[in-house]
Amino acid sequence: MIKIRDLVVILGDFKLEIPSLDIRDQEYLVVMGPSGVGKTVFLYTLAGFIKPIKGRILVNDVDITDTEPEERCFPIIPEEYCLFPHMTVYENIAFGLKFRGVNYDKANDKVREIANILEINNLLNRYPESLSAGEKQRVAIARALVVNPNVILLDEPLRNLDPRLHSKAREFLKNLHKKLRFTAIHVTHDIVEAITLGDRIAYMEKGKLLGVYEPHKFIESQYGKLYIEALKPVIKYLG
Amino acid sequence: MNRVSAEKFLILLYGISSLAILLILLPIIALYLMGDPETFYKVLFQDPILSKEAWSALFLTFEISILSTIILLIIGIPIGYILARFDFRGKSILEAIIDIPLLTPHIIAGIMVISAFGRNGIVNRILMGRYFSVEDDVLGILLAMMFVSIPIMIDTIKVGFASVDRNLELVARSLGVSLHRVFLSITLPLSARSIIAGCVLSWARAVSEVGAILIVAYHPKTINVLIYEWYTTYGLKYAVTLSILLLSIFIVIFAAIWVIYKK
Repeated sequence: MIKIRDLVVILGDFKLEIPSLDIRDQEYLVVMGPSGVGKTVFLYTLAGFIKPIKGRILVNDVDITDTEPEERCFPIIPEEYCLFPHMTVYENIAFGLKFRGVNYDKANDKVREIANILEINNLLNRYPESLSAGEKQRVAIARALVVNPNVILLDEPLRNLDPRLHSKAREFLKNLHKKLRFTAIHVTHDIVEAITLGDRIAYMEKGKLLGVYEPHKFIESQYGKLYIEALKPVIKYLG
Repeated sequence: MNRVSAEKFLILLYGISSLAILLILLPIIALYLMGDPETFYKVLFQDPILSKEAWSALFLTFEISILSTIILLIIGIPIGYILARFDFRGKSILEAIIDIPLLTPHIIAGIMVISAFGRNGIVNRILMGRYFSVEDDVLGILLAMMFVSIPIMIDTIKVGFASVDRNLELVARSLGVSLHRVFLSITLPLSARSIIAGCVLSWARAVSEVGAILIVAYHPKTINVLIYEWYTTYGLKYAVTLSILLLSIFIVIFAAIWVIYKK
C-alpha cells in the first residue's frame, strides 16, 4: 500500500497539497480534475522527480520520500508514451530489465510473456516511429509492467488517441488491469475515463486533493454533478 | 495582380539567393582555374625540399587538429550536458565566456594564448623560473587550435543534448535505471548526430586556423602558415597549389560525411 501524508509541493507560485491519500495494492486509482490543477505535478512527485517541501510518501510503511526515482521504480507512462526512438519495441520493453541485472534468458522470457499478454508480439522487431498511437500505448504499458513496479503512473494516456479509439483503449486497460491486478495511478480530466476505469476517483482542484470516491459516489458528489451536467446535452441528443 | 506580385517577389528571392551562392562558388572555381598542374606536380612530388615541406606541414596540421578535436570532445560532452540540462546561478555568464573565442580576432587569440602560456606568460610566472613555454612548439599550435574551436564543439553538443526530449530520460529513470546509464543509453545515442557535427565543425575550424598560430607558433609550420609563407615568398602560383590540395581534402571529407548522414 502507498500512503501519502501531508504532502506539500511548491513550484514557483503553484502549491500542491495532498493531506492524506492511501492507494491500495492492485487498485486502479484515477486522479481527476480540470487542466492545470497539479495532477501531473502529483505524478512526478510520486515518481521522485519533484521533491516535496513537506510530507511523507510510504510504500508498505517504508518511507521513500527522499529516495531517488530509479530506486522507487514507479514507471511513468506520459501522454506521448515516450518510447525510445532508437530502440526496437523489444529493446524498449527489455530496457528496465537490462539495467537491473536480469540475465538475458530470464529477460527474454519476461519480455515475450508481457508482449504476449498485451498482444504486441508481432511488433517486437519494429521501431516506435512505425507504430500507431494504440500500439505505442501498449508498448509503453508493457515496458512499465515488465519491471514488476510498485505502481505504474499513467499521465493522460488516452489523450493522444483518436476519439473513436477511446472506448476500445479504455476497455483494453480495464481488462488488462483485471487480468494482471497491478497498482495504477491514472491522471485524467475526462469523466468517462475516470468512471469506467477507476476503482476509486481522487478529485483535485486548485492544487488540492478534495476527496476520494467510489465512481458511483463521485457522480453524485458536488464535483461529479458538474461533469455530468456538462454531458447532459450529449446524452439528451442521443436520446 | 496578386499572382504577378507573388511571382515577382519569388524572382527577387531567387535572384538574391543566386548572388549569395555565386559569392561562395566564384572564389572556389577561380582557385581551381588558377591551379597549374605543372607547379602542382613539382611542389607536391618532384621538388624534394618543397614537397617535404608541404607534406609534413599537411600531416602536422591534421595530427594536431585531430588531437585538438578529441580533447575538445572529452571536454565538450560534460559541459554541453550540464548547460543543456541544468539551471544554475551564473549559467548565462558561463555560456558567454565559452563564446568569447568566437568573437575574438584570431591575432588577439594568439596573443592571449601567449600571454597565458608563453615565455613571459602567466603560467611561467606562477611556476617561478621553471621554464614552460608553448611558443614555437606543437603544444602552442594545439592550444591555439583548441582555443578557437572550443565554442563550436560545446555549443553544437549542447544543442544536441537540449534537443533530446527530457521526458525520455525521466521515463528511463522511472524504470529503475540510474542517471549515468540513462545518459549513456538514451541521451548520448540520441545526440550522436550533433556530437559528430560538433567534431567535424570544430576540426574544420582547427585546421583552418592561421592567425592565432602565426603568433603562437610559426614553427613547426602548419599548412596554413606554409600557404601564407609561400604566398609572400614565391607568389600566388605556389600558394594556390597548396590551397587546392587543402580545399580538395576538405571537399572530399565533407562530401563523405554528407553521404553518410544522408544514409
